[in-house]
Amino acid sequence: MSADNPRTALARPTLAMLPRVSDNLSFLYADIVRIVQTDTGVCAETETDSGHIQRVYLPTASLGCLLLGPGTSITQPALATFLRHGTTVVTSGSGGILHYGAWQPSEKSTFWLQHQVAAYADEARRLEVARAMYEMRFEETPPAGVPVGQLRRLEGNRMQKLYRNLSTKYKLQPFRRNYDPGAWDRQNPINKAYGAANAALYGVVHTVIAHLGCSPALGFVHHGKQHSFVYDVADLYKAETTVPLAFSLHASDFPERDARYRLRTHYRLYRLIPRMVRDIQYLLAPEDAEEEDEAEGQWRVVELWDPDGGGSVGGGVNYGGGDAARAVPASELDVPEGGH
Amino acid sequence: MVVITTTAVPAHVRGALSRWMVEPSTGVYVGTMSARVRDELWAAVSASVGDGAAVCLCPADNEQGFDVRTAGERRREVVDWEGMMLVQMNPLASAEVEMERQVPEGW
Repeated sequence: MSADNPRTALARPTLAMLPRVSDNLSFLYADIVRIVQTDTGVCAETETDSGHIQRVYLPTASLGCLLLGPGTSITQPALATFLRHGTTVVTSGSGGILHYGAWQPSEKSTFWLQHQVAAYADEARRLEVARAMYEMRFEETPPAGVPVGQLRRLEGNRMQKLYRNLSTKYKLQPFRRNYDPGAWDRQNPINKAYGAANAALYGVVHTVIAHLGCSPALGFVHHGKQHSFVYDVADLYKAETTVPLAFSLHASDFPERDARYRLRTHYRLYRLIPRMVRDIQYLLAPEDAEEEDEAEGQWRVVELWDPDGGGSVGGGVNYGGGDAARAVPASELDVPEGGH
Repeated sequence: MVVITTTAVPAHVRGALSRWMVEPSTGVYVGTMSARVRDELWAAVSASVGDGAAVCLCPADNEQGFDVRTAGERRREVVDWEGMMLVQMNPLASAEVEMERQVPEGW
């Protein structure tokens, strides 16, 4: 292994050196900076009025998600460093409101993706997952055999009731959710805070989904968008996180900034990220939900599909010649680890 | 655990710190103490750094798990990016920049 060389180990960290998603710092929002790789690390540069460069070093390996706002630029070596350290890099709009897309690290197991695809492709399993998602949001079990359309209506009523209760609590006008990005600046603080908080929540959900190696596109309740699964998972937590938070900022002068600021403490308070990991695992494969560690151990190993055997056989093995006993696993060959 | 690092502080400050903490490397002090003792000690140290600088690191109940306190002016400055503590390297003063630029013309 190249990890024998300490210098290489620092440049290309081993799996044990990278924090698990639940230990990660949740997200960092960058705005109007140039993110570059220097000789020693990754830093965000800004130019002062006097033309000098100010640098802020970024903890790439302990960051779960980097939100790039407008006015940022990032160099290829800096982006490569983020991806090598397993950080999801998200491009977002002003104030983190919109979520345009993300880059994900390539060294991920497909264990949970396989479960997701299997559940998505089977109509009966998909219905089960969608029902389980509604159940999580209701925090109670809806009557058996209720069609999804009815669950959707119940959920809509429940959100309206939540908006109404919170409006009464803060003595406000009845709340109307406004998504119109064209009229963003004229909206009330609640809508602004809600938009900013949701965008941040999507970023974190996206990070968790990316960390598990799942597809953000294959949703169970939502359908037909590249981020359907992100919306599915984020919806599980909105009623207890972003909605009350947005209403509590109804008189804020900087609702978007305050929303992100408070969310950071909330993520810690509710330990939301580990819960997201557990919930996604439970939804996709209730029986395998404890297997994350085993799945992580296989990260850098490729397997080959074998429909006759236990599902897969070891990769990096030459199966030619029909004598499996003589096959040499790649780990014993002197194979350079990746191009560098 | 509390870590205090010092740069160019008066000798009596270093002497005082060594009475509470051990110094495994020059200017680096480490020890365990209650939050109350730490705050008293840090208040005394930060008030007497003179032209030097000192940094105090201690566990805290925030997302990063620690808190950074600084005393004295240096190029490094702790900045708060919407709740995340990061360190900003401020540009050198113009005299120092001139010294760095003393590279032969056309090099």
